[in-house]
Amino acid sequence: MKPLVLTAIVCSAVLFASGCVTSTVDEMVFNEPTEGIGDSTVVILGRRHASDYETEPDFIDCVGKHISSRDRSIGVIGELEFLNALYPWFEPRTAPLTPNDIDKLMAHPPVAARMAELKTEYMIWIDGSTIRTNSAGSMTCGIGPGGAGCFGFGTWGNDSDYEATIWDFTDKAEVGRVNTSASGQSYMPAVVVPIPIIAPVQGTACDGIGDQLLEFLSSEY
Amino acid sequence: MSGLMTSVPNRHTRQWLQRTGMLLVAVVLASCSTMKVTVDGTFPEPLMSKMPLTIGVWYDEAFTNHEFFDEASGRAEPSWLVRTGQAQIKMWDTVLGGMFTNLVHMKNRPGEGELNQVVDAILIPSVDELQYAIPQHTNVKVYEIWMRYRFDLVTNGGEPIASWTMSAYGKTPTAFLRSDTDAVNLAAVVALRDAGANFAVNLTRVPEVRDWLQTRPTSEPAAPGPVAAEPTGQTAALEQNAGQTDEPEPVEGGDEA
Repeated sequence: MKPLVLTAIVCSAVLFASGCVTSTVDEMVFNEPTEGIGDSTVVILGRRHASDYETEPDFIDCVGKHISSRDRSIGVIGELEFLNALYPWFEPRTAPLTPNDIDKLMAHPPVAARMAELKTEYMIWIDGSTIRTNSAGSMTCGIGPGGAGCFGFGTWGNDSDYEATIWDFTDKAEVGRVNTSASGQSYMPAVVVPIPIIAPVQGTACDGIGDQLLEFLSSEY
Repeated sequence: MSGLMTSVPNRHTRQWLQRTGMLLVAVVLASCSTMKVTVDGTFPEPLMSKMPLTIGVWYDEAFTNHEFFDEASGRAEPSWLVRTGQAQIKMWDTVLGGMFTNLVHMKNRPGEGELNQVVDAILIPSVDELQYAIPQHTNVKVYEIWMRYRFDLVTNGGEPIASWTMSAYGKTPTAFLRSDTDAVNLAAVVALRDAGANFAVNLTRVPEVRDWLQTRPTSEPAAPGPVAAEPTGQTAALEQNAGQTDEPEPVEGGDEA
């Protein structure tokens, strides 16, 4: 019975232990839709122009799911689905950089027709990334006839910094910016079994930016 | 007798030695192995007004079986073999099929004096150069693929219309549990998408191609008066597709023909 209890305690510790995360969210929005966005849809896209980093597709997916799971009336078009539907106009090389470029884009009849079909009212561009800032410690693992195990301690920090820019597709104007930054330190002590204590930095940034976008888009928040 | 017994390993010892030896060989081979990537992906058809042209395309053997091999610089690093040929064909067939009303695959390389009345012009793509970078090389947490294409556009009689180069770039960030080969594949797919986008949007910015399209006789007679001065259906579609960006001329080596 005792080993079972011990295993349960260790498993719980592994599952529920998480490092601390500090998060800051800045918001500046105007022309919020007063009664939600109705039948229209929203698309969330990652900016991928920088040479040394790339906005993670997983993060874009996370923000989209955060919004659609909390307000099911908001239709969020998947990033890849949108990029494929409007190929080649939203690739890193060809994507519009300012709302003024929307007019040029809509001058193409097939593009205008596809946009009308998708009913896209808001386009949200997210730019940023999560980086590892520091790491320290060491860990040694070994295997022998009697079993295997690790001993040591490791720690590392992560920083997330993302900015979402909201474009109103009908008015062809920028209607808001949401910035979120989060940082946290993760730890991994190991005495026979490594126990990761992970700081959910990117997840916190996703929740932060998702909540602010939800306040903008949803009539329920 | 006993000495003989101690000098010859018994069956278990021999098996252990064999297994250890095989393991060591496997470790040595793994350390100087080749990472093979056969690029695989899906490519969407471009959303644009089709040019009213029947375009022929000739993929030579080097293009169809295009691969890139980079030999390891050290014992700790693997060599890389990136096969892009099949993915190239898939992508270019999709892109060209979406850009022109008709796409015809040529069976032979067009030669001068050999008239092919089925097509309006023939495009011959080739890969001039391919480079890649992985985080181990650059300490930047992105996988990158860069390619330079050369395109030759010739008339249905085999006479050169234009020859130009075009670059394409793709990158993908590192991700938890994604292997190097998966990441290089994804970066290559992004680079191919970029190549298709670059070609589709900027084809008519190549001066020689633009001139050829403008001087090319159309099958329909031009309407008289002011209407005749308007672009033909063909030219209108081309201008529409090219007019989206105000970016500077992206075509490289357009005058290298």
